[in-house]
Amino acid sequence: MSDAKDKVLARGICKRFDETIALRDCSLEINPGEVHAIVGENGSGKSTLAKVFSGVVLPDSGTVSIFGETPRNPMHARALGVATIFQEVLVAETLPVVDNIFAGTDDLWNRSRTRAEARDQSRNLLKQFTGTEINPDTLVQNLPLSVQQWIVIVRGMLASPRLLILDESSAALDLDATGRLHVEIRKRRDAGCCVVIVTHRIAELIHVADRATVLRDGAVVGELVGVNINESNLLGMMSAKHVTLKDKAKPPPATEHPASDVLLSARDISVGSSARPFDFYLHAGEVVGATGLDGQGQVDFLHAVAGLHPPFTGSISVAGHDDVPKPVRDPSEAAANGIAYISGDRAHDGIFPNLSIFENFALPFYRSTFGEFGWIDPRPLERAFAKEIQRLSIKVGRASNGITSLSGGNQQKVLIGRVLAASPNIFILDDPARGVDVRTKRELYAHLKEFAERGGAVVYLSSEIEEFFDFADRVLVFRNMTLFRTVLSANFSEHALLAAMFGDLQPSISPSKMQGAIVT
Amino acid sequence: MKNDFRPRFERHQHLVAPIFLIAVLLLVAMVRAPQLFTIDGIGGAIIVVTPLILATLALTPIVLVGRGGVDLSVGPLLGFINVGLVKWLVETGHASPITVVAYIVSAGVLYQVLIATIIIYVRISPIIVTLSGYLVLSGVNLVILDRPSGVAPEWMQSWGSGTSILSPVFFILIAMVTFWFVFSRTSFYQQILLTGANERMAFANGVNTVAARFGAHVVAGLFTATAALTYTALIGSGDPTQGNTYTLAAITALVLGGTSLAGGSGGGLGSILGAICIYLISYILSTYNFGTVAGFVTQMSTGVILVVSLLVNNLMNRRVRAL
Repeated sequence: MSDAKDKVLARGICKRFDETIALRDCSLEINPGEVHAIVGENGSGKSTLAKVFSGVVLPDSGTVSIFGETPRNPMHARALGVATIFQEVLVAETLPVVDNIFAGTDDLWNRSRTRAEARDQSRNLLKQFTGTEINPDTLVQNLPLSVQQWIVIVRGMLASPRLLILDESSAALDLDATGRLHVEIRKRRDAGCCVVIVTHRIAELIHVADRATVLRDGAVVGELVGVNINESNLLGMMSAKHVTLKDKAKPPPATEHPASDVLLSARDISVGSSARPFDFYLHAGEVVGATGLDGQGQVDFLHAVAGLHPPFTGSISVAGHDDVPKPVRDPSEAAANGIAYISGDRAHDGIFPNLSIFENFALPFYRSTFGEFGWIDPRPLERAFAKEIQRLSIKVGRASNGITSLSGGNQQKVLIGRVLAASPNIFILDDPARGVDVRTKRELYAHLKEFAERGGAVVYLSSEIEEFFDFADRVLVFRNMTLFRTVLSANFSEHALLAAMFGDLQPSISPSKMQGAIVT
Repeated sequence: MKNDFRPRFERHQHLVAPIFLIAVLLLVAMVRAPQLFTIDGIGGAIIVVTPLILATLALTPIVLVGRGGVDLSVGPLLGFINVGLVKWLVETGHASPITVVAYIVSAGVLYQVLIATIIIYVRISPIIVTLSGYLVLSGVNLVILDRPSGVAPEWMQSWGSGTSILSPVFFILIAMVTFWFVFSRTSFYQQILLTGANERMAFANGVNTVAARFGAHVVAGLFTATAALTYTALIGSGDPTQGNTYTLAAITALVLGGTSLAGGSGGGLGSILGAICIYLISYILSTYNFGTVAGFVTQMSTGVILVVSLLVNNLMNRRVRAL
């Protein structure tokens, strides 16, 4: 078995968490010098499989061989040359950058390098990856999320691993940074390292993977190599329902919205201090996307419209019944005026992790269904729950199971069901499809589209350009904390959006109409 | 230059409040009780404050390692080592320095290893485990010695007089503080901080969190042992109940020194400063004549100062993040 000494092998891996079967009889082989992608829908078990390689999860049965040995725990896996960059941004917020980068490099009594060396290395590495100078003594809690993500990546790269596992590591990075990450991944691959990536970004995967293993419901359904890794093959294998590219070829919606149907208006708002103010009107039946590079104001805009943080200047109001605009200044005013907000950051802003699926769904309605003496009448709630479960095709066990027993995508669906059941007029979503598989994503957007067709309006943010195609009526591109350009659906192309995000001036636009102008 | 300074200031920002407080308290002491600044005054102060400093340092690694780590039983443990020393060693005539050191260290460390084992492997919350320890040891201490009595070992009897600054207690304090600073520069201490700041991150990156947790308790055992030794020197006898007061005093000193009870942030220097604050507060208040309620006034003032210093810390944190 000299072969097994250079390879990473998994044979017949099974793993179950309580009632959920995460992996069933998974086998796979990772060759040195290859970028191997693990792909699948949410809850298909790909993160669990990655955790099996890094020793965080021990399989119930089956064998794992990392260059001939079986990892017993993360420490042992590390000693075998495994470095894992996890889905969550795992940092110690109260400690300086340098301690975060070098976490785990020292053993109990011996340092791998002196403090001064560690500081220098940390400074150089972060400069190399992020392009900016970051003081190694800065506390991590004072840094933006994208830098925290780089810290985690640098930590993984630092060990010069023989097996590098990246579990959704580009989630918090913008396009430019993702590009730098890909360069680094290829460099490692060419040096003979085994690289495993787990990602939802199909474009990223097609771009960087040499081999892809597709999982469905915890089982391996196939493997693609080289040029066969393309969108239609991946979608076909991933989805039991065989979603095909045909769905994508819908004619672009070309709806005209009369000005009388304005549901929400934002006048002269600016989302950064001393940023250029702009106007925004949301019409009934409209789906509006918002995007931009990291931290260009799109998130602040979304939060302002959702009433989470008031804008620096200007006012936001919702059309009232009797033509009296109602201001939106805080979350309760937003909710009272039919604005619903959903965050892609489920763990922080969405779920109540200690409560059951049903409670997570029904909590906001307890008050409105108060019967006599404040008793909660569960029957209407149960009916609503059953309806939303069916409508959104959420995979749940018993409704009384904890919300955390569900996969990320299904948790998100429960949250969306919760908001839909309150029948809002305006839906604001912050990267709703973060960590959600392709099929669920499509269903999700189909539901939102339907919602808009019934007279609602949707504003959503996404860092993935493909998520705007076939769905949004127009996309607001943010740059330098202000609205840079609005792209209409007729002009959608990856190039048009990217160009706007990077601040390219479109040659077809006359200079006077440039800033914030509509591309026609 | 400015860029290099800011992050370092951020890391030690929790020390600003206790340093400021000490400065104010020293000024007040200068007016109210200038005898503190004589040789006798300083010598006495060192002897009184040392057990508290060491007890606070004992708590520090346990709190730093996180997961709600705290040791409520530090006071009764100190009392237990004290009464055991008086009853089992001095009364049977085995009180040579070597046996005494062997006894206190093994008692402190063994107790902490036991506590750590229960916390780590039985996974009971530290506050419950050490509260039980507090109750059990309080009872055991009274069984060993039913009232304050007995004497300290003969060679220790002059330690509590405090007629010079360079007393044996002073040298023990210096030795233990030096030990702390050496300890805080080891990679072992780094593992404790990492575990405390984010245990999942530490575990996933191959930090031996179990060893870090055990190690924190062993170090705590060493510091509790020396705290008990200097406490015995201070009272010169055995006392089954007085040690208990160190639990609350040490936790207060720790928090005052800026160590977060959530783990992963703070450090030994803060604990030392915090303990000095607690001592100065009670010293200054003892110069007023509050009669029989003096003890309560001290507690009340300590409580108020603690809340105010936490508020100040909190405000400064927000200021830094806003910048």
